[in-house]
Amino acid sequence: MLSKLKEAILCFAAGIVTLMYPFAPHDPEEDFRGYPEVDVNRCIGCGGCAAVCPARAILIEDIDQTTRRITRLRERCIYCGRCADVCPQDAITMTKQFELASDKAREDLEHVCEVFMATCKRCGRCYEPPSPLDKIMQPGYRDDEIKRGGQDPLYEPVEVSSE
Amino acid sequence: MAAQQFGDSLKEKFGDRVLAVDAAEPDQLRVEIVPESLVEVADYLYNDQGCRFVINGGTDRRERNGKFLITHFFAQDEEKLYIAVHAEVDGDDPRIDSITPTIPGANWSEREARDMVGVVPEGHPDPRRLVLADDWPEDLYPLRTDVEHGVKPPSCAGVAMPLVEPPEGASVVPIGPYFPVLEEPEYFRIFVEGETVVGADYRGFYNHRGVEKLGCSVLTYNQIPFIAERICGICGFVHSTSYCQAVEQAAGIEVPDRAEYIRTIVLELERVHSHMLWLGIAGHIIGFDTVLMQTWRMREPLMWLCERITGNRKTYGMNLVGGVRRDIEPEVYGDITDVLAKIEKEWRALCDAIPGDPTLMARLKGTGELPEEKARELAAVGPTARGSGIAIDVRVDHPYAAYDRVEVKKCVYDSCDNVARVLVRLDETLEAINIIRQALAEIPDGPIMAEIDEEIPPGRQAMSAVEAPRGEVFHWLLTGEENRPERWRVRAPTYANLQSVPTMVTGDTLADVPIDIGSFDPCFSCTDRMEVTDVKSGIIRVYTQDEMLALRESKQPAR
Repeated sequence: MLSKLKEAILCFAAGIVTLMYPFAPHDPEEDFRGYPEVDVNRCIGCGGCAAVCPARAILIEDIDQTTRRITRLRERCIYCGRCADVCPQDAITMTKQFELASDKAREDLEHVCEVFMATCKRCGRCYEPPSPLDKIMQPGYRDDEIKRGGQDPLYEPVEVSSE
Repeated sequence: MAAQQFGDSLKEKFGDRVLAVDAAEPDQLRVEIVPESLVEVADYLYNDQGCRFVINGGTDRRERNGKFLITHFFAQDEEKLYIAVHAEVDGDDPRIDSITPTIPGANWSEREARDMVGVVPEGHPDPRRLVLADDWPEDLYPLRTDVEHGVKPPSCAGVAMPLVEPPEGASVVPIGPYFPVLEEPEYFRIFVEGETVVGADYRGFYNHRGVEKLGCSVLTYNQIPFIAERICGICGFVHSTSYCQAVEQAAGIEVPDRAEYIRTIVLELERVHSHMLWLGIAGHIIGFDTVLMQTWRMREPLMWLCERITGNRKTYGMNLVGGVRRDIEPEVYGDITDVLAKIEKEWRALCDAIPGDPTLMARLKGTGELPEEKARELAAVGPTARGSGIAIDVRVDHPYAAYDRVEVKKCVYDSCDNVARVLVRLDETLEAINIIRQALAEIPDGPIMAEIDEEIPPGRQAMSAVEAPRGEVFHWLLTGEENRPERWRVRAPTYANLQSVPTMVTGDTLADVPIDIGSFDPCFSCTDRMEVTDVKSGIIRVYTQDEMLALRESKQPAR
């Protein structure tokens, strides 16, 4: 009986704690890692974000000799903020935005930016001059794995026969 | 020094059969043995030396030396020692004697090694498939290096799970394929005679995510902590910490003091909110929803605090190899202390009320019994082991991060039932709050990330464990080429604890089953990388796919 009383006190002492969300906004704390906003004007196309992304959500393609396309598959984003950490141009900011539900997440959350690049006189491919990114020490981009043969193995898995 | 001495004693006892002893670290011992003597060595470690079986893992090293490496891990908690017993087996016909008859806790992991790398455990009492889906091809072993990570064989219709026949006269009560309270995939078949449970069959591993394969074939060292953190939805930080520690140890990276303290603080914050979550769910399972409402209410300010410290309520993303990404600013210290003070006050009131509550005690006392010797055999860890009187706690036995600089008390109860597991967690929550306070008082200034200039050399290995809220998390890492591990083995605590379910539920009434299962705080997602059987008769049947199909056909009405 005594225990029941103690429990009742615990419940009553709390008062009303229910928040009015979603009818009233509920802002996350400062430094929350929400939707990563990209300032496309600052992007130099170095690909550092793609190299560190644990979810492999950022794809780099050189579509011709002077244009590099950076596709961010935000549907895959895990909001870790590593891209914002390593960006030498501070072009990526983690915002407080977290209400990102959508019935077409793949299209709605995809973000594409095309960056004009210099062309290497020797090999004719896009390049970027040595930058602080040399510190990142990450070999290779990961786009070849995700968009192999124009197909995305995450959505269209490579099939092998059971034989 | 313990490692060296232990290594020498093994060498003395087994002579030529021990090929190499490596005791580079005082708390880690690696021995290489001839595969034929594995059972003897395991028996010696487990029965004579009082070691605890942790896990085993297989590594495909055919590209290097044409062999498979099978490693059994043991822990000698009194000596503060982890032991890796390596044995190399033939690359073309990989077989090794099963140690499950000696150590029942090795049941799952030996089958997993067979499923994943194809090393057959000879003489295994239950050699059914464990981790892979029923329709996965027989000869495709996902963790072999010649199998690509994105492989998805065509699915095969009409394959059902191999069911175990209930003992004669018993009925089957299914719970699943989604656990109604935890909303996670699992499938328990409870065998009952009237109200009394006489056995159980479990099948899980429904949601294999290939985390280890990703880590060893696609990701790089600093991408893995974020994937590791997602192994568990509640205690994720323990996995990333454990992984980072393993890399740091293998590469010889000194982590700054401040980073170690920050890891300790965040690990304990995670323990507090995990235990609060668990108590709420335990209340919910037995139909006492006030407990759920109140503990989760108390927990919420803590989640906001975590959000403030780390940038997210869960999946903190704090760890990287070499330290942590975010500092805890001194102005937050006050908030941490305030939130903890409030939680402590209410938690103490709850601790005061629970042991005297007749409803709760009627449900918890004497149910879900797991005797001490069974807990050791089945390699139970964490609060499940401590509720059965086994005083193991990684924080004390194998200190990591800053736990060697704070005082940690082991919370042990010996009534071996659900009450014991509740009390262990009630005490541990207060203990965790105490640890955070100590760490906040002593936290030194300085950098939070080590400078890493050199690449991590291949061929190094390290074992690392962290005391998660649910028990010991164990990671083993073998460094490889291309800035990624050659092999990364993870053992989450539920993997060990889940194997004790049949023992716990047998003899209880059906109504107690959910709380028995809930009592060890299962996290099926951690384990999902399949299953147990305990039948009264002790006979275990293995169904082949054809037999299963035939069985299925026979049970269907004629078309």
